[in-house]
Amino acid sequence: MPIYSEKDVLILKKGGRRLAKIIRILETELRVGISGKYIDELTRTLMVKSGGRPSFLNYEGYPASICLSINDEVVHSIPDSRRFKNGDLVGIDAGLYYQGMHTDMAVTKIIGYSNKETKHFTATAKKALGLAIREAKPGNSVGHISQAIQNFVEKNGYNVVREMNGHGIGRRLHEEPIVPNCGVKGTGQVLKKGMVMAIEPIINMGGREIETSIDGWGVKTKDKSLSAHFEHTIVITDGGSEILTAAP
Amino acid sequence: MDPGKTNRDEKIILTGRVTEALPSASFKAKLETGHEVIAHLCGKMRMHYIKVVPGDQVEIEFSPYNLSRGRIIKRL
Repeated sequence: MPIYSEKDVLILKKGGRRLAKIIRILETELRVGISGKYIDELTRTLMVKSGGRPSFLNYEGYPASICLSINDEVVHSIPDSRRFKNGDLVGIDAGLYYQGMHTDMAVTKIIGYSNKETKHFTATAKKALGLAIREAKPGNSVGHISQAIQNFVEKNGYNVVREMNGHGIGRRLHEEPIVPNCGVKGTGQVLKKGMVMAIEPIINMGGREIETSIDGWGVKTKDKSLSAHFEHTIVITDGGSEILTAAP
Repeated sequence: MDPGKTNRDEKIILTGRVTEALPSASFKAKLETGHEVIAHLCGKMRMHYIKVVPGDQVEIEFSPYNLSRGRIIKRL
């Protein structure tokens, strides 16, 4: 179980802040008429400019710098030339490799205007992340985080995707522990100061089942319902945790 | 510049039966658990021209961080 020193955490913080800034810029670019391909190219440019590199590009063969999912696409969708339309629900997920360390962050945004239900659904995913981070403190276990996400999401009538999870992160993009989005308080790895992890609730408006697309990467909801996710990279501190992917 | 290494120690290996051949050495397979997944043929099998067709029983490797994407590592 990797534990990161204060020195390591300083680097992670620097990288995390840069990533957060990039995600904020990308969010403002998520508008009607813009394509995923454009967002992908912009991501790569911004990351290189910030002194780092996209974590995802060529990771296990993944061909882009960002994962960009639209509507019923869940995660890992390769950005393409489709242009966003009013009402689309677009999720962007990117990792930045900076000075030897990875940080990972995701947001979901409604393009233009949408209905109350979609807004509530997206807000639920975001709030689930906030509640999960609150459980991330020394002495609690990964299960505390998982249960917090699952309880809140299901209470609101939505479902948690099981096949993709949060994960430790730092020197490698994916490390121990796995941080499931459903589970039981008190189970799993006990959290200690210096642990670094990416927490990412991934939720579906309809059923929890997913299917992988023919390209082998993109994942969609089986019942074609909407999917949303949010993600932050955090470090466990003495008193709780700190979000590394916080915009300055 | 090395963008970090992959963690190869913790793979999950499941058995499945190939149901359909897709382009680019990808296949649809049904796992023992009943799940249908998409898995691509690993490099070693491609290199040695090991043919996989619908009906074959195969071993599929998954990363615990991404259970939606499998890698066919053995034809049984």
